[in-house]
Amino acid sequence: MVSATTGVPVNFEGIEKSFGAVRVLEELSLKVAPGEFLVLLGASGSGKTTALRILAGLETASSGRVLIGGRDVTDILPKYRDVSMVFQSYALYPHKTVAENIGFPLKVRKVPTAERDVAVKEAASQVQIDMLLDRYPRQLSGGQRQRVALARAMVRRPSVFLMDEPLSNLDAKLRGHMRAELKHMQSTLGTTTIYVTHDQIEAMTLAHRVAILEKGVLQQLDTPAKIYNDPANLFVAQFIGSPPMNVVHGSLEASAFKTTGASVSLPVSGSIAKAILGVRPEDCAVVAPSKGNIRGEIYAVELIGDHTLVTVKTGADMLTVKASKEFSGAIGENIGISVVKDRLFVFDAATGARVR
Amino acid sequence: MAVANETYQPGTTPAGLAFRESWAEWFDRHSRTFFIAPAVTLILIFAIFPTFYSIVFALSRVRFSATGLRFRFVWFDNFLAQFSGNEQTHFLGRTTEIGIFGAIFALACLIAALWWLYKSYRNGATWVGMTGRVISAAMFVFVAFLLGATLLSGNPWGTLLTTLFYVIVGCTLQFIIGTALAFLCSQPIAGKSFFRVLFFIPLMITPLGVGYAFKMVLDITKGPLQPLWDYVGLQNWAWSTDAWAARWFVILGDSWQWIPFIFIVMLAALETVPKDHVEAAQVDGASSIQIFREITWPQIVPVAVTVILIRMIEAFKIVDLPNIMTSGGPGIATESMTLHSYFLWRANDMGSSAAVAYLLLILTVVVCASFFNYVVLGQLRKVK
Amino acid sequence: MSDTAFRFDKAERSLMERLFEPPAVGRMSPVAKVVAYSLLVFWAIFVIFPIYWVVITAFKDAAAVNQGPFYIPFVDFQPNLDAWRVHISSDPYCDVYAIGRQFVLYAYNSVAFILSPVVSIQPMEPQICKLYLAFSNSLVIGIAATALCVTIGSMAAYALARVQYKPKFGNVVVFVVLTLLMIVATSYAGIPWYFSAAVALALFFLLARAFGKHFKASLSNGDILFWMISQRILPPIVVIIPVYMMFQSVGLLDTHLGLIIIYAVANLPIVVWLMHDFFASLPIELEESAQLDGCTRFGIFWEIVLPLTRPGLAATTLLTLILNWNEYLFAVFLSTSKAQTMPIMVAAKNAGEKGILWWEMCAVIVVMIIPVIIMAIILQRFISKGVLMGAVKG
Ligand SMILES: Nc1ncnc2c1ncn2[C@@H]1O[C@H](COP(=O)(O)OP(=O)(O)O)[C@@H](O)[C@H]1O
Ligand SMILES: [Mg+2]
Repeated sequence: MVSATTGVPVNFEGIEKSFGAVRVLEELSLKVAPGEFLVLLGASGSGKTTALRILAGLETASSGRVLIGGRDVTDILPKYRDVSMVFQSYALYPHKTVAENIGFPLKVRKVPTAERDVAVKEAASQVQIDMLLDRYPRQLSGGQRQRVALARAMVRRPSVFLMDEPLSNLDAKLRGHMRAELKHMQSTLGTTTIYVTHDQIEAMTLAHRVAILEKGVLQQLDTPAKIYNDPANLFVAQFIGSPPMNVVHGSLEASAFKTTGASVSLPVSGSIAKAILGVRPEDCAVVAPSKGNIRGEIYAVELIGDHTLVTVKTGADMLTVKASKEFSGAIGENIGISVVKDRLFVFDAATGARVR
Repeated sequence: MAVANETYQPGTTPAGLAFRESWAEWFDRHSRTFFIAPAVTLILIFAIFPTFYSIVFALSRVRFSATGLRFRFVWFDNFLAQFSGNEQTHFLGRTTEIGIFGAIFALACLIAALWWLYKSYRNGATWVGMTGRVISAAMFVFVAFLLGATLLSGNPWGTLLTTLFYVIVGCTLQFIIGTALAFLCSQPIAGKSFFRVLFFIPLMITPLGVGYAFKMVLDITKGPLQPLWDYVGLQNWAWSTDAWAARWFVILGDSWQWIPFIFIVMLAALETVPKDHVEAAQVDGASSIQIFREITWPQIVPVAVTVILIRMIEAFKIVDLPNIMTSGGPGIATESMTLHSYFLWRANDMGSSAAVAYLLLILTVVVCASFFNYVVLGQLRKVK
Repeated sequence: MSDTAFRFDKAERSLMERLFEPPAVGRMSPVAKVVAYSLLVFWAIFVIFPIYWVVITAFKDAAAVNQGPFYIPFVDFQPNLDAWRVHISSDPYCDVYAIGRQFVLYAYNSVAFILSPVVSIQPMEPQICKLYLAFSNSLVIGIAATALCVTIGSMAAYALARVQYKPKFGNVVVFVVLTLLMIVATSYAGIPWYFSAAVALALFFLLARAFGKHFKASLSNGDILFWMISQRILPPIVVIIPVYMMFQSVGLLDTHLGLIIIYAVANLPIVVWLMHDFFASLPIELEESAQLDGCTRFGIFWEIVLPLTRPGLAATTLLTLILNWNEYLFAVFLSTSKAQTMPIMVAAKNAGEKGILWWEMCAVIVVMIIPVIIMAIILQRFISKGVLMGAVKG
């Protein structure tokens, strides 16, 4: 069995990257603890892959430093960084068998054949593909290819794992399954892992900590729970959660959020002319029109299964409420929404910053 | 694509990575050089250097001596000899007396060229573009004048026009026939793969063999067509006595060899046209010809112009066929510029030989670059 | 729309309509079929006939050629091996013993010719079967030149597809100027070529080091690629006289090595052009992954890239081999006796006073074209699979 190794820390120190005039990463600084599973989360084009490739040495940063295990590796060739990477397309060599693919990192390191075979077998059995060793990648299913890529990444026990959307080519069911396996494997090996994805569920379920990137700027770096319950800004608040957090446009006046036909008192102080109130669908409830904090009319009703999503139109905003599965209401009906007071977030509409 | 290799400097080896540079590491660090150096070196030594060296030959009177070659610098004498001196008839043809048709033709071409230049100037061409256009236009007008003064005035022409004749007439003919054959073979036809293989073979047969084979096949007295020649009363005639017959004779051999090239490329291009486009048109009731004109052709134009360019580049080098089939005769009627240069070399006139070779290079570059800039690039741009 | 436009019942259609209308979508009408097949068959005859004529002529004797056209063997004329006898049994040196000794010499020389002119090549059998000599020369030169050309060409093509080069424009200008100066010094001032070349080279590296960083404008990979491919435009006749002189001064005239080098250079543009396209279309993650795993550039090229481009590599190799096999102009200039190739041997049959000995010549041509036809059929397989098409699409 592969025993747990102690991971190494990884630091980004003020990494900047531009492709010509296009700024892709701006002053990215983050510290990854030894053995941590860090997920880089962001929309497509936000610079996640670029950050990962800079860490791997496949791309050079315009400025800033990268440290692996406390060592400055900014100008070091990829092969001396002791990292291994799982690509979105898996990058399996089509002309090599599974065993040759997994053994390739050892072969280029001139590990003796006998030793290599043992390592390959062990890695293969870790991801449960030991019966596929003689096949070629084209004879494998998507999930099996994924496992081969994982085995190839871990066979030489790198100090850091890099994964670039490794699950995005799998179907939904397999993805859920592989997620669990990945998480288990990472905690067994204890290798520092940096994982790139645009899928928030993957991020929330896998990560020790999540780093959210948007347009090359780090928005928040925290545990999944903190990110969900205490978003640093409007972007993070809306990016995380499904369905996304509701927003209501209005103004903040003396500890009360005011919008057309509604007023909610809040624990925050100060006054902002253009503010945004955020509340998650599960922190809302549908009530009679006269009772709720916010009033509106039903726009759509969707039965999901264990609950019903009710979309309510209020002023210019649409709010989604998670109601019980027994809820029934006609479209166009007037309705009230009550919110849980201490689960409300207020943001400055101009900057998106959280108002506390 | 940018990889860290490029910024990797010796001496930045990380502390803690025990790492001594072995020769393999050194080799890897310089791999970018090693990958490209052999090709660049070979081209520099055996293509670029000789091209420059050729200038010295072209600008000198060269004599053999006991110690090797003796060069005497004579400025552009060798070139001038081709244009106005003793070699003029050989290279350009007899241009002294220009007939009325010839004059009109040359004038018309001159006006057309000037009009084209004026128009592109008005359209705001850059000065680089303008220079290129002036060169193309000058070449065009010069060739038009030659054509007017020789062919259209009833005078013999020289190796320059013969070469252009092979290039322009040969390429056009080969392109049309090759594309037509490719079109036929892209139709639902039994035995497709047989025709494909068969039609491809002539391209790969040595030009020498092609030359001799055609010389034999079209032999008037002993060739397989002898009964036919007898029947039409040509038994005492010979290819080598009629300038035009001899030229077409060469074109015939050249076409036999090169139509397969056009054929194979155009066929492959035809087969990459998406099937659903064609099927949609079939459902709409279009005929094969209509489908070709409306759907297929527009999609293969970029390949077509590229293939013509490649064919043109090779066509300028034509030498084996006229050398074998007619030895350049009758007179100089079928002599291409390469053959002209070769004959001069054999006559130990290395200066003139190099000069003619250089003129061929200039002709090739101007014609091919013009075609590339005004036709190929235009088509490629249209696609994108 | 009138109702005559749609008539679904076959019987209602006139004969003319039925002749010109395809019976089903994706099929051809009867008339189109007749036209298409006649054209194809006509062209097939046109293609085959000259080859057929060469082959039967190789089995004719002088009488059968000179007494007018005979078309069909065994019917019109009795085929015999006269033409071949001239080459084999009438050639006094065409015995098995001599050829066997020649093979031993080959084993030695195949090492030596790579190193020639440093290691001198042993003279082969002074008088050897001419046909054998030409054939083996063609084979050795063709294969070696192809190997050299494909190796060097695909390495350069790969590098141009994956590594950024930025040669300074100024350095290129310096190089050109120095080359010209060297040429002028050698030819007009009579300075020995090795001396002026060494000085020019040293000066170039000195100047490039000293001033290189001051040159701003630089060229890109695209420029280098274009430069390499555009060498194909260069008519061979332009370089052939200087190359002849160069070869003469270093003793490469009429050697295998000389022809190998010049053939390789002549076909380098084609190899670079075709291979670049294959390399550029490979997914780059494979190489990046190997790079992370610690593979060297050359290791990546050898272990990952070349195996993946095998069909393209094979097709390119085959094409280059055929071109080398058929090459005539360089061989005429640069080989006189020892290194003569098949095409020269063919042309030599033209030189006699008795006119062309067609039957003898055809025998040589047949020997020459049989390997080519086999290679062409294999190459055609690749092309019909679309292997070489990417490059043309530009
Ligand atoms: N090699 C490159 N050249 C130019 N722009 C690039 C290159 N690689 C990435 N980019 C740009 O950088 C931005 C971030 O890309 P990437 O890191 O791949 O995003 P993500 O992985 O988050 O989807 C994108 O806008 C992309 O267009
Ligand atoms: Mg990405």
